[in-house]
Formats: sequence, structure tokens, C-alpha cells
Amino acid sequence: MLALRLTRGTHPLVLVRRLLVAAASAGVGFLLLCSLGYASAHPASAGSVLRLLWCFVPLAATVMFAVAVARTDPSTRPRPGLSSVGLGPVRLSVLAAVSTAVSTTLGSMVALLFFLHLRGDLTGMPFDGGAAEFLGAGTPLPLAAALMLLSLVPVLSATASAVALRSRPDPARDTFGSEELPEPAPAPSGLPWGVALVALGLAVEAYASRDAAGSAFPLPGRFESTPVAVLAGWTLAAAGLAVAGPGLTYLCGRALQAVRPGAARLLAGRVLMDEARRIGRPLGIVCAVFAAVIAASALYGGDERPWGPLTALGAVVVLGCTVATLLTSALEAKQARAHTAESLLRMGAPASVLRAATALRAAALLALFAPLTWVIAELAALPLAK
Amino acid sequence: MVAPPDNDVIWARSLHHSHNGSPGLGGVSVSVRDAEILAVTGPRGSGKTTLLHCLSGRLVPEQGEVWFNSVPVHTMAPRVREQLRRERFGWIGADPELVPELTTWENAALPLLLRGASHRAAKKAATEWLERLDIAALARKRPHALLQAERQRVSVARALCGQPTVLFADEPTATLHRAERSQLLRTLTAAARSHGITVVLATHDAEVAALADRTVPLLDGRRVATVALPGVPADTEGSAACSLSV
Repeated sequence: MLALRLTRGTHPLVLVRRLLVAAASAGVGFLLLCSLGYASAHPASAGSVLRLLWCFVPLAATVMFAVAVARTDPSTRPRPGLSSVGLGPVRLSVLAAVSTAVSTTLGSMVALLFFLHLRGDLTGMPFDGGAAEFLGAGTPLPLAAALMLLSLVPVLSATASAVALRSRPDPARDTFGSEELPEPAPAPSGLPWGVALVALGLAVEAYASRDAAGSAFPLPGRFESTPVAVLAGWTLAAAGLAVAGPGLTYLCGRALQAVRPGAARLLAGRVLMDEARRIGRPLGIVCAVFAAVIAASALYGGDERPWGPLTALGAVVVLGCTVATLLTSALEAKQARAHTAESLLRMGAPASVLRAATALRAAALLALFAPLTWVIAELAALPLAK
Repeated sequence: MVAPPDNDVIWARSLHHSHNGSPGLGGVSVSVRDAEILAVTGPRGSGKTTLLHCLSGRLVPEQGEVWFNSVPVHTMAPRVREQLRRERFGWIGADPELVPELTTWENAALPLLLRGASHRAAKKAATEWLERLDIAALARKRPHALLQAERQRVSVARALCGQPTVLFADEPTATLHRAERSQLLRTLTAAARSHGITVVLATHDAEVAALADRTVPLLDGRRVATVALPGVPADTEGSAACSLSV
């Protein structure tokens, strides 16, 4: 009940973030139900397992986004007042898990209704049974399987956000009344591993595509001829980008504050160095996704293999969730630094300096990551396109 | 509008301010002379911080006037007030409010860097002040590695580094022990006297106020002659005198 009361008093923007989580959850639930429908209509097909497995990419992106939204939720942030009445970080993490579960369950319900409607099981609205054939309408839907698939997103995201929020510092520990100065995170060390993974992934892909020249691997939807090694190569390269993200962000910050910086460059660089983990990980993932999208559209841009509607839905969910996670993480970093920014403004720092610092950070990250994404996408598409 | 006397650096007349309806200041008039140390005393909640915020242009009073060197502060645009704070005023709060990402000397040099001074000049000035405050050895450390007293000294160095005309110190020693308190105050007053800096010092401590040239006592948002309240007879303090049933 407390979760609902807190939800009622929240800012509209926070509610919009929660609605986005619900929408992503609805998209994933719909994809999972579609794969179930396909499987029940084609019991002998090996492709149905692969369809289901492909759904885990948007599922992972949605869980990541739900955790990021739970982290930035102001109503479940540890507060000294609540902590002193016994509502510390642990209880608040339970609250955050409950509100995450509520919004994702809402999304799953919408997905179920929409799915049944398109199959023709629910009538009374336009497009009744518009995709009945496609969704395997002739066969009954196993109830337990549908419920299990629909509960995947709520259970996973609630658990993940509870685990992620448990370890937040307790404000009541700070009895001093003065500001808390946490120890800065050490410099991220994943850069060499990330570079190695990207190189390995590209090498595996090039090696695997040597034999299958001419038969580019099909998009998710027609998996029967997917060379596993190529997929593994892509996955390794994407994981490498995600691992290398924090290290690259740190280097970016280091470069920004080097050589006699003024106030804006100093603040921009140091903050980027401190926030390297928080910003770098989602940024690396966004880069990996964009690289995959660029490579895939370079390979399948022609008319002979058009994007299927479900593939498009999955791609939209993955892209939207990763970009939204990046933006939410940036917001979290901003919230974490609000106290410092306020004291700088009180000191008389012009707001333009703070804005310039933010713009410098964004420009530096864009200047490093945009060409990197493009190069990796080109390299990933190169062996398959010959 | 009455023009202020010429020899006052800051001159405020009948300042009224409330925080969302809760009373803060109720008609305080203060004049601060050039190069003096003025103590604003009073218990917690008597409006010391609000008065300092009004005088330093962080807060525009609801009624009343604030003049700095014969220039009205209460009618200034926010940008100009910001510039005034940056270039002419220094601030030391009860909390050091250091930027956690910057090292000690960068924190101290921040006012100069914000004014657009060159990196080299800012570093030189900041290092000099850190040496005077005996924390030059910590110049490359970050605030999380410092003790509270050392952080507070860095914030003093930051305020003095910008060579302000007026330095506002709002309970600068509230979170310190006695030994550190007296050392910090001695350094602060010595620096102010030798550089001719005007200091407005808010404190609830009579010992601290004794260092000042003049004292302005505040009570419940008004200027009073003395803060000492008439003593309460001991026998009425017991439970018998309390007629509230709770």
C-alpha cells in the first residue's frame, strides 16, 4: 500500500518512466506469447526454440531498463527521515521491487490482451483476429506456459531491482549532519578485456563466414540456416563493447581535463572520470546495439529479406530500452551530483559553466563512441557481405 | 529611497523575509563598515543564516534594501548578483561544500578558475593560501581523504583565495572541536585583518563573537540589545507547571 501511496504523489515524469517500463514489458510479453503461439502451431519445428531464445535479448534489455528506472525513482531513495523510523535501504528496496513488479505486470497484462485480441479470441474491437493465422490461432494456448512466460519480466525485474538497490548507502549512518563524501570508485579496469573480446568476436565471425560465403545469415525469424559461430562472434563483440565502455568513458574524462584546464573542462573531465562506471556500461551497450543495427541493415538492407513485424518489434524494444537506460543513468548521475551543483551555484558559479561542462562531456563521448560504433559495425558486416 | 552612508561596505535597512510563510527576518537593519569584523550572534533559528544570505545576495528579501558600496543589491538582476558573489564576496559555511571530484588545490582555486583566471595563476594563489593554512601537504588529495577540520580549512582557503571584499562566514566552526575551532578562527581573523577584508561572522558562540569588533545580536528574526533572556525560576520548571495533557 505504501508503494501505491508513494506512486500517487510522484512527479509526472517519474510516472512516464514507469509507463515506458510497462510498455517495454508489454513488447517483450507479446514477443514471448508470439513464440509460444508459433510453437503450439508448429510442434515439430526446431525454429520455435530459437524464436524463444531470440526473445531473451529484448527481455534482458527490458530488465536492465527497469532496474535503471528503479534506481532513479525519487520515492524509493533512502532518506534520513524514513531511515530513522526504520524504513532503511533494505525496506525501500522491497518497495522499489514492488513498484517495478506492478508496472511490469501491467505491461504483461496489456500484452496478453493484445495477443488474444489479434488472435481473434477476444472480440468487439477493430482488427479482431487480424493476425490469427500468424499467431497460431487454431491451436489452444497452454495456460501454464503463457502465465510462466508472462511472469518472466515482472519476476526478473523485481528481483534484479531489489538486489541492485539493497546495497545503497544508508543516510542515517551520516549522523554528522554534514555532507557525505563517499570514496570515489577506482578507475575501471575492463578496457583490455573489452578490446580483447571485440577482437576475438570479429575474428571468430570472419573465420566462420569463410566457408559459408554467399549465404548471409538470416534475420531472427528464419533461423534454420543461422551459422552459430557468426552469432557467437557478434555476441562476443557486443559483450566486448559493453565491457570496454567504462574504460573508454574514463579515458574520455581523462583527456578532457588534461593540459591546463579551465573551470568547465576541469569539472567536465573529473565528473566523467568519476561517473565512468555509471555512464560507461549503458553507453557501451547502446554502442553494441547500434553496431548490430548498422551491420544488420548493411547486410539485409535489400528488398529480398524484408524485416518481419516481430523482428521490428524486438528491435524497437531493444533499441528503446538501451537508449532509455543510458538516459536514465545520466539522470541518476545528475541526481547524485545535485548537491555539488547547488553549492557551486551558491558560490556564484555561472550556470553557463555548468551547462558548458555537460555539453563538453556529451560532445567528448559522442566524438569517441560514434566513430567506434561505426568502425565495429563495418568490421562486423565486412566478412558476411562479400 | 535613502542613499546609504558612504563609509559602509554593506548597508541593509529593515529586511523582512519569510520562508514559505514561516517567519525568518522581521525588520533587521545592519551596517557593515569597511575592514571590520562583525559578529551576528543569536541562538539557532534566530535568522542569522537568513540575514547573511540576504546580505550576500543569495536571497532577495521580501521587503527592505541591501546596498553594497552604494550599489543596490536587492534590485540587481540574478546574473549580476551571481557575478557580484563570484567576484566580490567569499562564503564559508558550516559544511565545507567542497567539490568531491576535485583535489584540494583545485577546490581552493575554483573561484579564480570560475572568474576565468589562467590555470597557472590560480594554482599559484591557491597553493599560497594552502601553505598559510598549513595544509599544503594535502594539496593533491581529494576531499574524501581529508578530516573534517582539514576540509573546513580548504573551504577557508577557497574563500580567501578569491581576494574577496567581504567574507561571509556562517557558523564556520560548528562541526569542529575546540582546538581546531580556535586555530581556524585565529587564521581567519589574522588573514582578514592583514588583507583588509570585511568579515560578517554568524555564530551562536560568545567566545567566537568575542573576536569581532562589533556584535549584532538577533533573536527571533529581530535585532535586540542582548540575547540573554530573563532566567526562568527553577521551581516552575517541574512537571507540576506543565498543564498540557498529552
